[in-house]
Amino acid sequence: MTQQEFNTVGQSVRRIDSYDKISGRAVYSVDVVVPGMAYAKLVPSPLPHALIKSIDASKARALPGVYAVLTAAELVNMETHYGSDKKDRPIVAMNKVRFQGEPVAAVAAVDLATAEAAAELVEVEYEALSAASDLTSALLPDAEPIHDSNYCHEYGYEWGDVDAAFAGCDRIFEDTFLFPMVYHYAMEPHTCVVSYEHDRIRTWTSAQHPFLVRAELARIFGMQLDQVQVVVPYVGGGYGSKSYTKIEPLVAALSREAGRPVRLAQSVEESMKTVRRHAARATIRTGVMNDGTFVARECLSYVDTGGYTDNGVRVTERISDRIVGPYIFDNVRVKSYGIYTNSTPAGSFRSIGGPQASWACESQTDIIAEALGIDPIQLRLKNLAKKGDEVRRGKRPLEGDLAPKLQMVLDKFGWDNYVREDPSPTVKRGIGFACNVTNSGASPTSTSLVRFHADGSSTVYIGTTEIGQGSRSVMAQIAAEELRIPLASIKVIGSDTDAVPYDRSTGSSRSTTLMGLAVHDAAVDVREQLLEIAAKHFETFADQIEAADGKATFKGESMTFGALVREMFGGSGGELMGRGYVTQNHASGRLTQDPVFWEVSIGAAEVEVDEDTGTVKLLRYVSASDPGKAINPKQVEGQDEGAAMQAIGHSMFEEMLFEDGQFLNPNLVDYRVPTFEDLPGEFETVLIEFGDGPGPYGSKGVGEGGIVCVAPAIANAIFNATGVRLRELPLTPERVWRAIEKSKQ
Amino acid sequence: MRPFRLYEPTTINETVATLSELGDDGKLYAGGTELLLAMKTGLLQYDGLVNVKTVPELEGVSYSNGTLTIGARATHSTVEHSADVLAHAPLIASVEHRVANVRVRNVGTVVGNLCFAEPHSDPGALLLLYEAEVDIASPSGTRSVSVEQLVVGPYETSLAGDELVTRVRVPLLPNGMRGAYLKFGYHHRPTLGVGAAVSVTDGKFLDVRLTLGSAPPKPTRMRDAEAVLRGAAVDDPAVAIEAGRIAAEGCDAIDDLHGSAEYKRHLVQVFVQRALAEAVERGVK
Ligand SMILES: Cc1cc2nc3c(=O)[nH]c(=O)nc-3n(C[C@H](O)[C@H](O)[C@H](O)COP(=O)(O)OP(=O)(O)OC[C@H]3O[C@@H](n4cnc5c(N)ncnc54)[C@H](O)[C@@H]3O)c2cc1C
Repeated sequence: MTQQEFNTVGQSVRRIDSYDKISGRAVYSVDVVVPGMAYAKLVPSPLPHALIKSIDASKARALPGVYAVLTAAELVNMETHYGSDKKDRPIVAMNKVRFQGEPVAAVAAVDLATAEAAAELVEVEYEALSAASDLTSALLPDAEPIHDSNYCHEYGYEWGDVDAAFAGCDRIFEDTFLFPMVYHYAMEPHTCVVSYEHDRIRTWTSAQHPFLVRAELARIFGMQLDQVQVVVPYVGGGYGSKSYTKIEPLVAALSREAGRPVRLAQSVEESMKTVRRHAARATIRTGVMNDGTFVARECLSYVDTGGYTDNGVRVTERISDRIVGPYIFDNVRVKSYGIYTNSTPAGSFRSIGGPQASWACESQTDIIAEALGIDPIQLRLKNLAKKGDEVRRGKRPLEGDLAPKLQMVLDKFGWDNYVREDPSPTVKRGIGFACNVTNSGASPTSTSLVRFHADGSSTVYIGTTEIGQGSRSVMAQIAAEELRIPLASIKVIGSDTDAVPYDRSTGSSRSTTLMGLAVHDAAVDVREQLLEIAAKHFETFADQIEAADGKATFKGESMTFGALVREMFGGSGGELMGRGYVTQNHASGRLTQDPVFWEVSIGAAEVEVDEDTGTVKLLRYVSASDPGKAINPKQVEGQDEGAAMQAIGHSMFEEMLFEDGQFLNPNLVDYRVPTFEDLPGEFETVLIEFGDGPGPYGSKGVGEGGIVCVAPAIANAIFNATGVRLRELPLTPERVWRAIEKSKQ
Repeated sequence: MRPFRLYEPTTINETVATLSELGDDGKLYAGGTELLLAMKTGLLQYDGLVNVKTVPELEGVSYSNGTLTIGARATHSTVEHSADVLAHAPLIASVEHRVANVRVRNVGTVVGNLCFAEPHSDPGALLLLYEAEVDIASPSGTRSVSVEQLVVGPYETSLAGDELVTRVRVPLLPNGMRGAYLKFGYHHRPTLGVGAAVSVTDGKFLDVRLTLGSAPPKPTRMRDAEAVLRGAAVDDPAVAIEAGRIAAEGCDAIDDLHGSAEYKRHLVQVFVQRALAEAVERGVK
């Protein structure tokens, strides 16, 4: 299919949820009211690490208006722990607390004020244990173990003869890089309403993965999947913070205890104690030849998963998968560990392990270039993987050449013609570059249902959560395209596990690629049924009929799709149903390998550094987004720029600070997220559309790439400006100033 | 947040009488941008809040006879956009424009800012530059103190529990004196604010005022640093460096989320020089 043949695909159509959101009609979890609903308040642990000696909730229970207090004692006739890979998280703390803010109990009451008052009446006696809230202290031999040990997970891989290769190369570089703990700051904090009834559980929640929440609740309470309903209204941002299961089991248990529906609407402060990104320490050793050829790489990473595993297993693996960079090495040895600490549990966050890995490997690429006296771009081009190369042995080969993609960014940036102009002797400018490819963690398990109505309109059922990324619009575009009907004739029904068919999750940049294929196939299924009906009507073969503009046409005679449906049912009503199944064995043959696709990330930055204060101004940033085919170009740009903007946070100032387990900046006044003031002076996204993705029309995912390369690009630019190399994020003015001062000594 | 009762007096007398009655259980409430945040986290708890926004006498910004008056109800936005401020003290308007964000400026008041005495604030150091004073009402009468005396330390003022600041009086800078105010920081609240006002004759500093905010525990006039400048040549960089050094040394900075004390003292040094240069330049123009 050539580009001109598309109707809505490839166009930046207006989002189909825009009216809902602008008018205020959009329903979010916090808007859900269930008759008889109680309001919940958590009782958080003030201590980061302690044994629970006793809990006395009698005063709280005696307070008028209190329906129930949930403590570990109430977790009976049910599974008590949950978690995506390791079920190590108790629904409320049992025997021990492992981070400050961990819920020890929860209260359900007639209103929030009563619940808050009751929460203060819950008396908990603790025996404090020594706390380790960073990697260094948790790894000390005499550190107090947080679980059985402080090691959560271990991962690694190796190929070639690494030791021999290091012995034979000209130069060896070894550097250690630190990445901070950061918080997602989705505008909507975690919010959940659950009605636990003897034969069913109804849940309304701000979850990215409703079907995984359903499975977890069914397991915990011993119900079948059909007895558990999870509805996800609009979600005010996720970024991974609402992946897997978060507060739902607690609210369900509290609802069971209270005998009525319960709502828990967290504050931002509480959500900052619910989930965060993994801090990391990564050491990279790279052996090279003097001509710049990369020979061997060895990496050792530690990621800090906080008090519980949450997504720590996968993040431990993904940092190792992503730290080798987009280069060809014949000899690689990579190892990583997930470590428990007494801090907020760490889960998914836009490109798990990606920014941490790229911070290390792409900073070191420039260190090597400088030491060898080779231009950093030339060094990259020399070692860059090409189409068909296995950047990670045994995994899916790259679907396209990287060099031309890099060049598009360099051209847009004007890299080759850059002329440096320092505003003053102490205010300096410089440019920096970084790139990587990340293996998407998307599992190919999606289904979709398309109902086609007797008037020619259609309802599309998807399990993808609309978290602001615009999935509903893109799915509508794909359906409209394949059904040959206008976009305005499509309605998309989002996540309600009682209504929509299964989708594994909304994350890993997977929805357009995988759910997009499911919707595509379901719509094609309907179109084929319409053509069959038309073929009968016109007494010809289906392939003789043209389907366009909501009509089937044969030899100049037309019939609307709606009329075809009515004809089939012999009356005024009826409808067709189309289905799309996406599995590893999808008919396209493009989903058999892991990963489903490689997400490309490229960034170029220009900075201005005030050496007197250490202030770094981001003058320009050019990012690349490689959707293969942009089904809605504006939304792709939005994803890319949003991701880059989020990365400006961890690059420049975001950092959750803990001291002996005490969370020092647990609110948005003390924890600084980027605002419009922090936009780069010039900010652009290059769209790369080579049609090389496995999704519909050659598309692939883009939600994460923009976040991956910002930090190393900025640090490389700071080096270019000042000659100072920073190895620890965020690049706060004080940190930059100190590095400059040190370099003067 | 624990429920509280909101009192809506309509006169100054009624306001202070209500305050007096409530004692420790009550507090004045202006924009609430400090107070309600602290109450939401449970840091502060009051049974009654007394709204200053319902008292017409406390409204507005006005100018007469060389003095700007900022009422207790005047928000940062009101001051930022006031025609009187723009005409007579544009520096104040430009600093107010950069306080917080537009949402906070639209409800938060200048007086509320002073009375909360959070060290990381702009109005204190700015108003010290003008030698501003506040008028205070209580059930037993009225009194006035300088802004310098109002703020005594972090979150601490010299106000009694039943006292209400009714207005700030800001005398314009004396003839020939030009001011500058520079702020620095990457958090929502400033890490440092430096105010400088200078008059220059024959290439020498005639009069100088230097003020410092956010880095020290309270807004501070840096009189020792001023002293080395008076009479010194404006174009001698060594003098500004020396003034910066003295100010930095005298700055009682602490390590906190904004940075180490050492870094803050370095910033004081840098920004005293920059603020002086900017004030001088404004005088030349
Ligand atoms: C996100 C954010 C960013 C900010 N950034 C800055 C910044 O860059 N620079 C800066 O300077 N400030 C900043 N602030 C602080 C802001 O200026 C203050 O919050 C605001 O001015 C306080 O005024 P208010 O009217 O809301 O005070 P309220 O919260 O209503 O009151 C504050 C205190 O003052 C007392 N009070 C109020 N009125 C009177 C009165 N008439 N007499 C006696 N006591 C009184 C109250 O009892 C209370 O104790 C920021 C605040 C926020 C939330």
